[in-house]
Formats: sequence, C-alpha cells, structure tokens
Amino acid sequence: MIRGLTEQDDITGELRLECGAVIVGSGAGGATMAAELAEAGVDVIVLEEGGYHPTESFTARTGRALRTLYRDGGGGIAIGRPSVLYTEGRCVGGSTVVNGGMSWRTPARVLDRWAEQEGLEAIGEADLDPYFTAIEARLSVGLQDPETIGRDSARFKAGAEARGWTVVENRRNQLHCAGTNSCSSGCPTGAKRSMLVTSIPRALSLGARVFADCRVDRVTRSGPGVTGVTGHVMRPGGRKGPRLTVRARTVIVAGGAVQTPALLARSGLRPASGRLGHGLSLHPNALVTAFFDEDVTGWQGVHQAFQVREFLAEGLLLAATNFTPPMLAALLPAYGRELGELMAGYNRIVTAGPLVEDTGTGHVRNIPGVGPQVFYRLTDYDAERAVRGVELTAEALFAAGARRVLLPFDGAPEARSPRDLRRLLARPVPKRSLQLYSIHLMGTARMSEDPRRGVVGSFGEFHGVPGLFVTDASIFPGPVGINPMETVIALAMRNARRMVERRDRYGL
Amino acid sequence: MTARLPGPPPAEVPFRPAARRFAEVVCPPEVRAGQRAERVLHEFGLMLGALPPAARKALAVVLVLLDQGARLYPASRGRRFARLDDRVADAYIRALVTRRGTVAWMVKRLKGFVTMCYYELPEVQREIGYDPAPYIAAVSRRRLDSYGPQVRAGEAAVTAPADEAKP
Repeated sequence: MIRGLTEQDDITGELRLECGAVIVGSGAGGATMAAELAEAGVDVIVLEEGGYHPTESFTARTGRALRTLYRDGGGGIAIGRPSVLYTEGRCVGGSTVVNGGMSWRTPARVLDRWAEQEGLEAIGEADLDPYFTAIEARLSVGLQDPETIGRDSARFKAGAEARGWTVVENRRNQLHCAGTNSCSSGCPTGAKRSMLVTSIPRALSLGARVFADCRVDRVTRSGPGVTGVTGHVMRPGGRKGPRLTVRARTVIVAGGAVQTPALLARSGLRPASGRLGHGLSLHPNALVTAFFDEDVTGWQGVHQAFQVREFLAEGLLLAATNFTPPMLAALLPAYGRELGELMAGYNRIVTAGPLVEDTGTGHVRNIPGVGPQVFYRLTDYDAERAVRGVELTAEALFAAGARRVLLPFDGAPEARSPRDLRRLLARPVPKRSLQLYSIHLMGTARMSEDPRRGVVGSFGEFHGVPGLFVTDASIFPGPVGINPMETVIALAMRNARRMVERRDRYGL
Repeated sequence: MTARLPGPPPAEVPFRPAARRFAEVVCPPEVRAGQRAERVLHEFGLMLGALPPAARKALAVVLVLLDQGARLYPASRGRRFARLDDRVADAYIRALVTRRGTVAWMVKRLKGFVTMCYYELPEVQREIGYDPAPYIAAVSRRRLDSYGPQVRAGEAAVTAPADEAKP
C-alpha cells in the first residue's frame, strides 16, 4: 500500500472528492505539475486512466507491456494517406514509462519561432534555462555510462562519422542506466527516471493524492470558470466502474495531444480560434532495417545512445533504435517463410531511421461510438524529407558495413549497396507507399497569446475559461523537432510556479 | 513478479478458423510445430482484449472479409480462405498485400498483429537468439555493483526537500 495512491480494487462505490487542483493525466506534464503544486502546499488530486504498475512488475515481454502500459494495446492509427501508426502510454507515469528517455532542451530556434509567431511571454532560452537546470537535476539527466552502449548504436555512429556527419551522445533521464534496452516495456531497474519513479512519488510524499484507473469524461463548469471533473473508475477489460466526481476550482488537463483535445471538446469547450484538436504534428519516423555479416545483438545495450544532428536544420534527426522481435516482426514488410528468414538474422540486424520535424497538418476528432480519432495528412514536403531521411540513414548503415538494407516503402525494396540505393531512390517514391510511425504527438491545444490563433495562453490557461489549464505536448504551437519530454516538463514547471504566484486567483 | 493489474482479460478470437489459417500463412512455417498456432491465437486474443471495442469489431470485419473474399479469388474455386490449401492461401494473401489501398493496408496491419504474437512466444525468441532475462539480470547486477551508492542517493533525492535553485 502506497500512501496517497488509490487503485481500482480500493474503490467499491461512487467516489466524490474535493481538492484545490485536479490534474487529469500523470505523464510528463501532469506529474510535474502535481509535484510542483504539492510542494507549494496545494491540495492536489491526480486522476490517471491507466493502472499503477511498479518497477518490479516490468519485464521484457512486449505484448504484456503493450496491454498494460499503452493505450489501446499500442495500436493507435492516424488515418491518412499514408496512415501513421502511433503509440501513447496509459499508466501511472504516462508515456515517460515507455519512452526512450531522451532528454533534450527545446532548441532556441524553436522557442524563438514560437515566441515570435504566437506572441508568447517568458519562453525564450534564458527564461526556460532555470527550469531545464532544475529538471535535469531532479531526473538525473546525463550521458550514458560507456559500458552500456550497444553495438548497434556504435555501428550506426561509426557509419555516420565515416560520412563526416555530426553525431551527439544522447542525454537521457537515467540514473546509471544498466542498458537493458527495455525502455519501451518499462524500465525493470528504475534507472530510467520516468515520472513513475520521480515526480509521482515526490508528489505523493508531499501530500498529493493519485487515483489510478480513473477515467475523466468531462470537465464541469459553472459560469465562466470550472468546477471540477466527472468520470468513472475503470474495471478490468475497460468496463465502466463506479462514478467519479471531483470538485476543484482549478482543473489541469494533461492527457496528451489526443486525449486532451478530445476531453475538452466532450466538455463543450470551444475556443474562439476553432483550433482545439487541430494543428497536430507527430514527428513521423521511418524504419530502415540493415543486415550485417556478424552479430551486433542490438538488444544488448541502451535503447538509443546517439543522435545524428547533421541534418537538424532540414528538420531531420537520425538514430539507431533497437526493436524487440515482436515489434520488428510487426513492422517488417514480409511474411511467412521470408519473414522467418529475415528474423533468423535478428542478432545481425540494426534498425535505424529518421525523425521528421513535420509541418503539423493533423487533427483529432471525437467520433461517436469510436472515441477520439486522429487524422493526419502528410505534406509533399514532409514526405520528401522522410524519403531523404531514409536515404541518409541507409547511407550511414552501408558506411557502417551493412550488407543490405530494407527500405520502409511498400514492396520492401532492398538495397545491396549505396549505388543500388541511389538507383532505387532515383525514381519518385509515392507518398502513399511510405510506412511511418510516431511516438511524439503534439500541438492540438496550441499556445498563443492571441485567442484567435490559439487555445491556451502563454502559461497554459485556456482562453476565456479561468482556472482551466492544459499542460502536455498539445500546447506546443508546432513541432519541437527533437524528443519533446523535457519541453513538456519545463513548461509544466514554469506554469505551475506561475499558478502558485497567482494562487489567490485560482483558489489554491 | 507480476504487475498489480494483470491487464485486460483476453477477447474471444473472431472467426477462429480463418484467424488460424491466416496465422499459418503469415507466420514462418514453424508456426505449425507443436501447439504454436494455438498459442499464437491465445496471444492474439490477449492483444484483442487490449483494443477498444471499435477496433476489435474492425479486426473481426477484416477477418470475415479476408475469409469470404477468398471465394472471389480465381484460384480458390469458390472456397473460403480457411479451406484453401497452402499454395493458394499464400498466393491469395500475396495478391492482397501487393495491392494498393485500404484492403492491403488492413491485411498488413493484421499480419503485423499476428506475427507480433508469434514472435512473443519465448521459444521462438530463443530460436532467433533473443533471451533478454539473463542479460537484464546480469547488467542490473553490474549497475548496482558499479554505482550502488550513487543509485541509492539518487533514488533518495526524489523525495528530499527541493535543494536545487528555484527558478
């Protein structure tokens, strides 16, 4: 029994609660906000739809992780041409429990762009620096210990360096990461400093209450302000359990870029800008699969040790990331005997690919009987860069000694040399044939000081609804171009402290 | 150790004969060894249980279309997919996935789902040289042997009073 934590088994009847601030979601934004507000003495309740799964419960079993730690078994689909597969965490700690733990400060060029385009206050590099410093101390952000770097990462780095490209060591929120390569199944050592093992226990120790397995259906309102939330307790299999009502003068929504706009729209909130649910970016990723002559055992070593930053100005980030056999088999464009032959060489495979800083053309819509659905239109410009990112990734892999690479296009074209690669890519790649996936969704409740352009203001408060805040990647006014976790946390910390400064206004 | 929540209960696999036949075609031939096909379907049911109801229904529709649609495939001679022999079943699936459009996309997603379940089987993972448990145990020990005091201090700092400079 953890003091302050309530799970579904602890709840037998209708739940009626009252607090100063209720936070919907326990990921990077929600957990940080909870710890900050609790530290300031605010009576905080965190409601998390997913379950509480402690570090000791984590294994390398992919299917089990997908079923327990991810929303919808990890099977999100952003419908479009091409459609993009995506995943979101759904557990106490949110996506920080299943992400790779990359912790990068928001690039200054991105902050400057956001400030200029949206008139945002206090969001320059110098403004955020103290928050980044504080976060990095709390989450043990730093470089990997060298003994934990796997051969797949080392190969990819060597290939990129042979091409003369800039490669940086990854900064990750890890406390002497063991290199188990289990990031996406939940870190079995607790070395990855996810919210599950940092801000959630911190918030609990400071008196916050966390309710797992509690889904919020609506934000409730009276007059211009908010009065709390209603929802229900989850039962096994997603069945609805007892009703849940929380009364609070401050409501903070932190459900991520899909669930947050869906909840706000269900609650009848309509910003003047009409931008709620729009402007979705998702950093499309593509997977290049390379085969080497000798074992690289990519599953031994840290999830992702390096990033190729050479093409950041073009909006391309390249990295090698190992996929477990179930995930790789699901993504490989082969089946039957051919799939078996490819997978037989699993220990000789390096998987790598580009992340594209896209131009934000998706939206989220509530569909009756289905729930929130993501739609996404890949622009021609983004598609061209995805193909270029694939080409660059394959070049690095060949430079590292790969004998052949599979490209993530329909029909799984295979290149056996750089020349072969150039020949294959000399013909235009149809946009619809790209096979893309995403783990970074953002921008569906964007910040802007202009209520005609955005959903929330500079400090996350919903335009025209005092006491309602959003604190997750949905408030980004555009793609961040790198791993977004640290940006989410910095903005949550900054916005929490602003709320505390004005606590009388919010009844905190 | 198990999670506090075991996860959602398994869902019943719809159109089981078609699902089993599909697994036999899209998984490597070794799926027919022992009880593997049945265990793939068990994993499949577990994964279905984690999906929202609308997605479960959509997958069921894909399976029934896949099964009945085979009747229109010339080489099937009017048989449903579950009744096709290996050669024709393989040719039918290949014809579907090499098309463009929604049907091909859905069949590929279903293929991804089923093959993921196959490679979730521990003995299949061992056969391809993936056995993470002993490795995880070894590197976890190495971490504590090398950095035990720093790890314990870092963990304790989580609930310590804030000592970093307040922005």
